[in-house]
Amino acid sequence: MSKNLRLTFIDLGKALLLLLALTPCAWSRVFVQWSTRELPSKSSLGVSDLVFFWKSGISPQLAAAREQGYRVYLQTTMQSAKDAAEDAAKAGCTGIMLKVPDSQSKQAAHEIARLQPAYPKLKFLTLNPDAKVPNMRGSLIVMHDSVLEVSSPTAQPWIDSNLALVKVEQRAHEGQVPLYTFPWSDRTNLTATDYSLAVAEAGAFHAHFVLQLDEHLQQALNAHDASAWALWNQVRSMMNFSADGAAQALAPAANVAVILDQLDASDEVLNLLSRHNIPSQVFLAGDLGREELDSFNILIVFAKPGREGQQRITDLATHGATVVIVNAHDQFPWQGAQRVQLNEHTISYAMGSGKILELSEPVTDPETFAQDIRRLMGKRNSLLSLWNGLTTIAVPYRQHDGTLSLVELVNYSAEPVRVQLQVKGQFKSVRYESPEDGCCKTLTSTEHDGFTEFVIPDLFIAGRVHLQR
Amino acid sequence: MHFASRRAGAVLVLLMSCFGASGQSRRNDHLVYKKKYIMGTVFEIAAYGPSAQQISTAIENAFREIVRIDDLLSNYKPESALSVLNRSAHFHAERVPPELYSVIEQAVHFSRISDGRFDITVAPLVNLWKAALAGDSTPSPAQQHEALACVGYDKLELTPPDQVTFHSPCLQLDLGAIGKGYATDRAADVLRSSGVHDAFISAGGSTILALGSPPGQTAWLVHLRDPSHRADPYIMLTNGSVSTSEQTAATLLGRDSPGHIIDPSSGRPLESQFAVSVVATTGTMSDGLSTTLLLLGPEQGKTLIKQTPDTSSVWVSATAQIQTATNGRQILFGGKL
Repeated sequence: MSKNLRLTFIDLGKALLLLLALTPCAWSRVFVQWSTRELPSKSSLGVSDLVFFWKSGISPQLAAAREQGYRVYLQTTMQSAKDAAEDAAKAGCTGIMLKVPDSQSKQAAHEIARLQPAYPKLKFLTLNPDAKVPNMRGSLIVMHDSVLEVSSPTAQPWIDSNLALVKVEQRAHEGQVPLYTFPWSDRTNLTATDYSLAVAEAGAFHAHFVLQLDEHLQQALNAHDASAWALWNQVRSMMNFSADGAAQALAPAANVAVILDQLDASDEVLNLLSRHNIPSQVFLAGDLGREELDSFNILIVFAKPGREGQQRITDLATHGATVVIVNAHDQFPWQGAQRVQLNEHTISYAMGSGKILELSEPVTDPETFAQDIRRLMGKRNSLLSLWNGLTTIAVPYRQHDGTLSLVELVNYSAEPVRVQLQVKGQFKSVRYESPEDGCCKTLTSTEHDGFTEFVIPDLFIAGRVHLQR
Repeated sequence: MHFASRRAGAVLVLLMSCFGASGQSRRNDHLVYKKKYIMGTVFEIAAYGPSAQQISTAIENAFREIVRIDDLLSNYKPESALSVLNRSAHFHAERVPPELYSVIEQAVHFSRISDGRFDITVAPLVNLWKAALAGDSTPSPAQQHEALACVGYDKLELTPPDQVTFHSPCLQLDLGAIGKGYATDRAADVLRSSGVHDAFISAGGSTILALGSPPGQTAWLVHLRDPSHRADPYIMLTNGSVSTSEQTAATLLGRDSPGHIIDPSSGRPLESQFAVSVVATTGTMSDGLSTTLLLLGPEQGKTLIKQTPDTSSVWVSATAQIQTATNGRQILFGGKL
């Protein structure tokens, strides 16, 4: 990489970091999507932000919500954004949510940049509608017509999680808190646990979330049905817990960088890295010059790096990083280094204090690949490890100086589990917060070889560990 | 990683369409499906019957039974009967719950018939290699030797009706290799006693137990693990069980990558290219035999199957090498080889 080009990359990286640092953090807000004519009072519902589908004109529903003090957002598509913004401005709404799939994020940014000056009081948010219903799956799936079929069985429980989507969103819209939603599709008889898990997941990932409420539940709440309110109050409890975590301005901690040509949240490798609690951050090929990559232990490169990128990869490996190049077929500058053929598809090149692994084919088994990445990372570089955490996703967060200070946990089995954690670093205080018992219970911890270990005796759906040096 | 999660393989299942088939007399049967995370995996039960409420209650009771078994056999829960035994039975006889004694006896049976290739005392080796699986360096020969010295079912003494003695200071039992199979058997008992006769129990896909058959069918169609994606082995299962074992797949780390099934005879991860599926009458038998046969390999494994009534097995490699042994239900093949 030429010096000038590298400086350009670094300057860009610094500018983005500065942008991130200056962005006000207010994550984990739950927006409730409402569709019935009546709605409960703001104080009883316990939420401030309501979302309505935009239909042409200003409905009495919007006015009623505004009168009750709700912040009202209109959800629409990019094509209808201008008309919806006009109505929203007239009705005193707080903002517009544009449903934007990953593939249209650039056009959305352009559209927002065009509309914002015309409607300066409106907030324009981009909503990813492609999230999944969070879920622990088994092997069997019950089909509609009582035909049983099987999913791809794995030895361990399969988790449908939105962490990969959040990571992609964090890169797609840098400086913004990811905002996503999902339809419950064919799920019926939704329980407090279903809603709570969805809220807990968004909270743990420090993302905003639009909760789509079943219309029957909305009607029951309007009718003052006691069981509906009992359900909702459980969900509220989880909302309060998730909002508490938002008070701290922390960044996700990661030491595995995933370099992509294009952003795709459906990528199974990203899913499996998340599933195996490997803290990762998503970058694009053009980000290879960013200075922040110097701090990552492993880079997984799915992109096809140009000449500058190849030189940067060489530099990073020489200075200690392990770089995995996936589906590599080109000639690369490191191929003159000492090589070891690990197996039919993998060659390892020794580079200074690091190494580059060339995988000659695409990842065919993301599960095994994710496990390999954990092994490559080695115990010394693992930011966190879980035992008995097969149904749990843990997300570590760091302060500006890089110190780990928070671990958010979500248990997708919704059955109490006893989870053992090991986090990198020595901490004099380990405190545990949960929706059930509030904040905070001091956990007994042991320090060993630069790591701190502790046990969470009963993780139900969500939990939060506060670490202090 | 504890021994209970040594199964990488999974049984691939396809359950036939049931309603609209020829089962006129049972066309009003309800299907109830539930899942629960127990023993470090997802247990799933699907059952048919005339009363959805009755089936639902029966399944919940079956899950409670599996939780009870986990409380007995878990080596992760410090308060389980097995964990208590592992802390206390060194060089003196320790009384254990009769059910735990019975399960240990059954596990030792697999050790005896395999000349120790299957060994419920392998835990020290598993723990040693667990760190390597998690990214640590490979254990040194000295470490391997030290752990190997702790292993051996001959260091375990069982005194009927309920006493256990460890004749080694570092002996540890791990019943994970048959625990899920045993749990499916007990869950099946609960379903039967609740009047549920057509049900399907899956322990994370690695052990499956079938009761009866779906409405309109004579058996449950179960496709078995096929690393080659060409052989498509399957069985028609009714009132029986099938389990699959397989070593961790080869990885981009090459031969230095440790697998999760440890061979007690070498003290090192087993090197096997096969996935092995075993069909038997009970979950305990299929579960215990599948690990045993993976460790023994096809040649010795086939001899063992011939000596064991009502069992069948199939070994399938990624390159479609296939070996079978039949002393019970026929294993069929749907693929083109």
